[in-house]
Amino acid sequence: MRLLLRLLAPLLGLALAAAGVLLVIEVVAAWVRPATGSGLLVPWPEWRGTLGNLSWDEYPVPAIAVAVAVVGLLLLLIGLLARRSDVVLAAPAEEMTVTTSPRVLARLVGRRVRAGEDAASAAVTASRRRVAVTAQGWADPDPQLRESIAAGVEELLDELPLQQRPRVTVRVVERRYP
Amino acid sequence: MSDPVSLTRTPPTGPASARLRKRARAAVARSLAGDRWRAVLLGLLLLAGGVLVALLSYHVFGAARAGRPLLDPMIVDLLRAEPVAFRLAAIGGGLLLVLIGLTWAARSVRPERRPDVVVDGGRPETRIVVNAVAVAEAVAAQAGGLPGVHRARARLVGSESAPALRLTLWLTEDADVRALLDRIDDTLLASARESLDLAVLPVAVRLELDAPNTPPRVR
Repeated sequence: MRLLLRLLAPLLGLALAAAGVLLVIEVVAAWVRPATGSGLLVPWPEWRGTLGNLSWDEYPVPAIAVAVAVVGLLLLLIGLLARRSDVVLAAPAEEMTVTTSPRVLARLVGRRVRAGEDAASAAVTASRRRVAVTAQGWADPDPQLRESIAAGVEELLDELPLQQRPRVTVRVVERRYP
Repeated sequence: MSDPVSLTRTPPTGPASARLRKRARAAVARSLAGDRWRAVLLGLLLLAGGVLVALLSYHVFGAARAGRPLLDPMIVDLLRAEPVAFRLAAIGGGLLLVLIGLTWAARSVRPERRPDVVVDGGRPETRIVVNAVAVAEAVAAQAGGLPGVHRARARLVGSESAPALRLTLWLTEDADVRALLDRIDDTLLASARESLDLAVLPVAVRLELDAPNTPPRVR
């Protein structure tokens, strides 16, 4: 979302500026040479005819309105969701902030789980508040597998000075053979 | 600083330390706050306009109102009555759009600043400017040599009067994060502050992992 906003922001700015330039050019042109009766860049006299004959409930108007509303909603969501999803670590000094990405936390957890060799494979998703591990056991799974994986993850979280300790959920699924 | 108590000590209060923390937080990444609120504002305007027109089209405000033309003769008459005022208003609105649009575009494509640091040489006629890239390279080289760090990248951010450091560290497999952070605070930053003659240097540390280099699981 942040990348999308970084790409969209200059384009939106330029689009606004272009709309403003067109507006100023057309108004000034219509003011200084009213006799010609045609637009300089935009064929607005034709538009005026179309808009004068079209009523609010005729075909393209509601569709365009809904499309504009949807674009607005998307823009609103992009703006609201483009926040940082950093995982914050406790820093040893006040003029220091330490952050990492949820991906790094997930990789650390995944490495710890896979190093245990109790699980055949593991998939991890992580955020500031939650670490979720989905592990596949071997053919005859150890009944304590879930607890042992959770203990390993908790041990890792003890070592990391995370500012907010995420909640750990472990799910063990049956091994799927290809 | 290296005692474990420093990790859990209560956050210091007071405006100075709050400012420091804020500067360190601001150094984490380039701020998108301006882009975000502009996008939200534009989105809200489009959403509100689209919804209102759609409601009007679907006869929510009455069939008579929805049946009127888009370019209402009533409004055209109003515009014709005061042509100069409306033309000036249109030109003003257009100029405002250009101003807002160009500022937005310029701000979002402008590269982040790398402030140089001015070191007080002790004599009034000398003024020593330390290049931002040189500072960053020195800090990165020093950080890259710390145990547990595979690769390091640093850059100065902020303004010349309030510089801050952004330090990205790629950790090795066996890195002890807690010890590393303590080490950065009391050796790396202390020497950077001293050599740059700065009382404080807020720093944002970003921890990354190297590309996956896991040993094969089948032995």
